[in-house]
Amino acid sequence: MFTTHSRLDAVKPDPGMDTYWAGLDGGAFGDQLGYGYMNPNPDQRLLVQGNSSLVSVSVSPKKRKAADIKGQSLQVVSDKEKKIKGCSEGESRTTNQNSNNKEASTNTSSKEKSKISEVQKPDYIHVRAHRGQATDSHSLAERVRREKISERMKYLQDLVPGCNKITGKAGMLDEIINYVQSLQKQVEFLSMKLATVNPGLDFNVDNVFAKEIFQSSTSDFPALGCSSVNSVYYQLNSMDQVVSYCGLDMGINSAETGLRRSISAPISGPETFMDSSCFNQVQPTTNWDADLQNLYKMEFEQETLIPFQSHQFTGSNEGSNMKPES
Amino acid sequence: MHTCTKLKSEFIKKWMKGLQICCSSKTNMDFLERKKKIKLCADIALASAKNSTTSWCIALISEAKKHDENKTLVDNLLGPELRIKPQKTNHQMSASHKRARSKKILKKSHHVCQRMKKMGPPKSNIATYITKILVKERTQVLKRLVPGGESMDEISLIKEALDYILSLKVQVDVMRTLANATEVLNQSDSTIFD
Repeated sequence: MFTTHSRLDAVKPDPGMDTYWAGLDGGAFGDQLGYGYMNPNPDQRLLVQGNSSLVSVSVSPKKRKAADIKGQSLQVVSDKEKKIKGCSEGESRTTNQNSNNKEASTNTSSKEKSKISEVQKPDYIHVRAHRGQATDSHSLAERVRREKISERMKYLQDLVPGCNKITGKAGMLDEIINYVQSLQKQVEFLSMKLATVNPGLDFNVDNVFAKEIFQSSTSDFPALGCSSVNSVYYQLNSMDQVVSYCGLDMGINSAETGLRRSISAPISGPETFMDSSCFNQVQPTTNWDADLQNLYKMEFEQETLIPFQSHQFTGSNEGSNMKPES
Repeated sequence: MHTCTKLKSEFIKKWMKGLQICCSSKTNMDFLERKKKIKLCADIALASAKNSTTSWCIALISEAKKHDENKTLVDNLLGPELRIKPQKTNHQMSASHKRARSKKILKKSHHVCQRMKKMGPPKSNIATYITKILVKERTQVLKRLVPGGESMDEISLIKEALDYILSLKVQVDVMRTLANATEVLNQSDSTIFD
């Protein structure tokens, strides 16, 4: 029987290729797709096995003009770019197939009296014909191509939301187009929004830093939603933590000044934003329980201070730290 | 949910850098100009942050470089190591153009030969015929959407589309959070000084 292998001698091996291929089966395609992808090799050739002989289909564009379809030798050139992925796909497929080549002889047309090509050029993809399938080099190549496309369609199904029910190629393409268009429109809209929100394109460092805090936090808690309310909340949390690092008295002072300005403010937001200058020196931690407690404590302090002040009560601990308002 | 935070932080850094370069050149820009600058910086930053050789990245960058005003911006953003790429990309693009064209010629001749062979009705199965037309139409549309998609065959087109969708998702994510953050900051600033 024939041993199937794909020759990748002429191709530069990619160090990340093993992990890439391993990840293919695990469905982690999305993450690994952009990284470590191999360059297309235009000189690959598709070697098709059928009819107990080797039919070489050369896909090199240089050889195209030299192709002559005689009765005996079949050197059909299809100028397709077969990528390395196709190589390995073909390889994995052929090892799994049940090949019954004895029936293949009846399927061949007169044109396909192919002889074994003596020149074993590198980068051939070995494909074996199923029982009862045409071993026409064209149809085999077509089948390889089709299977490759359907393979990628499957990955796209995982990527594009709501594509699970659609099976046909046309429908899938439609969904993909809609999704890409909607993403592009979102980018447009967001850039417009940023242009209005920020007149002058001065995204200050503090803002960026806070954003990085937010992003690092979202990476730790992927289950949490991305709504604006949550984002504000977690930003505040992280800022509180940072503020507490800056020193207790500083925090208290800020709370005091915050109180002076807006006594009715339930959120401890304002004073934290005023202390944004101390961000650059401090590394925030993502200690969420402590943050939450911090936030609640400050809120509690604020709420309790209001009645304290109104009753002019100075006996409590919180009250003692704060200078009483006259 | 994908957690490409490394890509995100790369993207932000490059985007901010590009915007700073933009700001330094002009002082007063109207709304549409600002929006264009933001979007352009974002696109270039994304394409360069990926640091891969997918053709949509290359196509985006080379497209941006065509306009002289963006050239310095792009060069500064990309950095020295990626400046070599444009030469390679031109060669790649021309090579792929040639390949696409030659492929089309070959396909046409092949189709003609096949049609001569089978005298049977080519539209015997209406459904598949319609499907084929639809698929062809939609691949055309997709080629227009994905940057650099004109000179790609179906297989690589789908692969590029995959990659492009992933990076678009990242871009949208980052921009959305930045917009929200700036909005919140502006709101809180206004409440302080009320």
